[in-house]
Amino acid sequence: MARHRFKPWLMLSPTLVAYLFLLTIPVAFVAVYSFWLGSATRLATRQWTLQNWSSLLADPFYWAILGQTARIALLATLGCVILGYPVAYFLARSRIRNKSFLVLLLLLPFWISYIIRTLSWINILGTDGLVNSLLGGMGLLHAPLQLLYNEVAVIMGLMQYLLPFMILNIYVVLDGLDRNIEASAASLGAPPFRVFLEVTLPLSAPGLAAGALLCFVLGSGTYVTPMILGGPGNAMFAQLIYNTIIVQLDWPMGAAMSMLLLALLTGLVLVYNRFVGLGQVYKSLAV
Amino acid sequence: MPGNNVRWNMIRFSTVLVYLFLFLPIVAVILLSFNPRQFGGFPIEGVSLRWYAELFHNGTIRRAAHTSLVLGAQTAVIASVLGVLASMALMRFRFRGRNFIGSMLIMPILVPEVVLGVALLLFLRWLSMPRSYPLLLMGHVLITLPFVILVVQARLAGMRTDYEEAARSLGANSIQAFFSITLPLMLPAVLAGMVFAFTISFDDITATLFWKSAGTETIPTEIFAMLRNSISPQINALGTLMIVLTVSLPLLAGVIARGFARGKTQKRVV
Amino acid sequence: MSDTKYDRLLEQYRGGALSRRGFLGAIAASAAAVGLAGGPIGALAAAKSIRFDGWGGSVSDALRKHAFEPYTRKTGIKVVDGTFSGVDEFYTRVRTSAPGTFNVFHSSGVFDYARYLDANLDVKLDESRIPNLKNVLQPLIEPFRKLSGGSLSAVPYDYGTTGLAYNTKIISKDEIEEKGVQILVDPKYKGKLGGIDDWRTQCWYGALISGQDPNDVKDLDVMWNALRKHRSMLRKYWASGAELMSLLSTNEIVATQGWSGRIATLQSKGFPIGYYEPKGTFAWQEDMFVLRGSPMAESEELLNFMLAPEVAIAVSEAQGYPPSLDPTKVKLPAKVSSLPAFDPTGTLDGRTFADPRYWNGVQKAWSKMFERIKSGY
Repeated sequence: MARHRFKPWLMLSPTLVAYLFLLTIPVAFVAVYSFWLGSATRLATRQWTLQNWSSLLADPFYWAILGQTARIALLATLGCVILGYPVAYFLARSRIRNKSFLVLLLLLPFWISYIIRTLSWINILGTDGLVNSLLGGMGLLHAPLQLLYNEVAVIMGLMQYLLPFMILNIYVVLDGLDRNIEASAASLGAPPFRVFLEVTLPLSAPGLAAGALLCFVLGSGTYVTPMILGGPGNAMFAQLIYNTIIVQLDWPMGAAMSMLLLALLTGLVLVYNRFVGLGQVYKSLAV
Repeated sequence: MPGNNVRWNMIRFSTVLVYLFLFLPIVAVILLSFNPRQFGGFPIEGVSLRWYAELFHNGTIRRAAHTSLVLGAQTAVIASVLGVLASMALMRFRFRGRNFIGSMLIMPILVPEVVLGVALLLFLRWLSMPRSYPLLLMGHVLITLPFVILVVQARLAGMRTDYEEAARSLGANSIQAFFSITLPLMLPAVLAGMVFAFTISFDDITATLFWKSAGTETIPTEIFAMLRNSISPQINALGTLMIVLTVSLPLLAGVIARGFARGKTQKRVV
Repeated sequence: MSDTKYDRLLEQYRGGALSRRGFLGAIAASAAAVGLAGGPIGALAAAKSIRFDGWGGSVSDALRKHAFEPYTRKTGIKVVDGTFSGVDEFYTRVRTSAPGTFNVFHSSGVFDYARYLDANLDVKLDESRIPNLKNVLQPLIEPFRKLSGGSLSAVPYDYGTTGLAYNTKIISKDEIEEKGVQILVDPKYKGKLGGIDDWRTQCWYGALISGQDPNDVKDLDVMWNALRKHRSMLRKYWASGAELMSLLSTNEIVATQGWSGRIATLQSKGFPIGYYEPKGTFAWQEDMFVLRGSPMAESEELLNFMLAPEVAIAVSEAQGYPPSLDPTKVKLPAKVSSLPAFDPTGTLDGRTFADPRYWNGVQKAWSKMFERIKSGY
């Protein structure tokens, strides 16, 4: 019995040690900073104050940007769910050869460097880009379309980055499902669509949830994509944090903003963990 | 399912569309790498290997590529080992604080990289420790671990424990059960996690900018530096080379694997 | 593997919680990890070397070829060069590192000089070891001396201006001369204008648009409104030379603020981009700054190398900015003297440089405000 209680902690220990020294303690530093004031000469004056927090929470500007960030991230996530699920389903259920090649292909875009890919959207959507030169060449335009530097461009750029995350998460779960369950539902007379809706979809929920969480969180924290593809009205929160710390050199304020973003996203994760926990219970009961 | 025509074809069609969407910018990168014009857009004006030549002579990029590849590989290995251990602990045991730890492990993703970068630096400054390569490596492991855990965890959640329990009841201890039953079953997730870790490390820029030490450049940081003065289409040439590399590697692996399999059956026959 | 982790594992092994295989396995894994990571030896190798940080790209290539390699050949000291993507990002990195980590860097502007001074990161250069300093334009040296109380912590290296860049096919020379800075808020070009993503330049231009002295803005609200109006006409805020050139060359925008060097590059490639310096154009200089904790003699020697005419000219051609050398003392080739922002008289008259103390003072408030205006508030 003693063995059993130690084991999980032992297995977790290297990870926990790494987290302690690389994450927890440094972030604690950041939290402490949020209660100090910015200074011109040092990184921060060491006087305790709630000023950063009060000006942050009371200012509609920050909430507006947070709202915009959440909206863009949510739209990108939804897009990934809609576009990603069929692909994951295809990959999990198809019987073609070289399936693993297709899966690996999904990760290909990552190895070409985020910046190159984002910049290449300019080559597609720009006035000199693929879309405009194709449509213009066919004589359908009298002036080039302005497809760049707006919210749609940002969402598309984000989706291209996030889709593989979503697809892989769903695929991995779908692939591991016991086909017998679906087969037995079908043999009991359920039409294929009902089998999908009432058996496959709920069983793949953990994968969907993990993918959606990942996409939303990553989307909320992005700043390179809106910086390159967005227009003046598409600012996202991470850009604000970066600017506050790096350009305005107001570390305490940036620290407070980071803690706020962290708190909001942590709340989301706690909800997710609850949900997955429930799914677990249901599964063990069903089996 | 694959028998069912209309629905399956629709799924197949949307898959094709999505892959097209994912690869459109990549196709643009490849096409433009041959475009001799510097600020080129479309249409392409002829084919030229000019940028590849310049890239070949660009020693800094090659060094950066080497650093990125090595760093990514090391990160992937370490993150996978730690991540699999952690996921197993979370998913196959019940202990107090399990849910709390589970949520906490996802933390690094939630912290914007700018904050992670600066936070670690502050801590180092306090310790009077200089930046170094091992530190950059551990930093990358930190960033990629949550992804490995997320993917492996989701897979373990969907896996039934029957097989492991059967093995145990037949006398296998937990480590044997792990290596012969659990690990093979969750291998796709582990591999996916490893590949994730590699690509995230390879692609990382913000945190790396802060953590890298003197003389260390990765590809993203190098590209960022190149951007200041000009978008050199060398970048497109670099991207194309990476594509060729990453496409040919699994193909090569597949050929080798098939060669081994053939070898095995032949031996058995003889 | 850290000692505590080893002790913990040993304890567990002894306590029976860990089988021998598991214990040895854990040690092996850690050893492998350290081995893979290359060990801490790298960090200890503090050989004779000097660290330089710059903007990277063709400029670093030029410096390496003409300055660093000859320097290493002569002195045996290696120059390790790194890059940064922004003055503020670099400032952050310096402030969060131990003294001596960074030595020499390509600093931007007098305001940068002032803030490193205020953060006690400066040095007093021994000018007798930098004889090439005598060729440098006096008007560029003076502001530094004033801030350091007579001594120098940096040597001026190049200068330039941020004026107006415009598409000559759409906007004629007469039009730009007539409208000047007002072109940035001209409704005729709504949706086709660009703006630099830098609060200093923008606030400078905001002051100019609202008819005020950038070094002493009396009415802030008018300035903010000018910037808000500019934003409402804007297609994109650009943040790098690459973006600027891309936007102008593909005709996404027709007018914006622009750096003289980048515009020169576009012009040399045949693009129809014109450069106009309105009254009160933002002029600036860059310098090679030596940070506290650096090896002094070696740094001064390096600066001297970098100020040698061949080096300065080579870098100048690579960047597109005139060198800090006095054209009346050093003969400069046509390629350099034809650069925009070049001043053949060597007096830099008529250029408005930023007052560092003023601009550093307003940094916090103005950069914050600009961030809001940028996002639509």
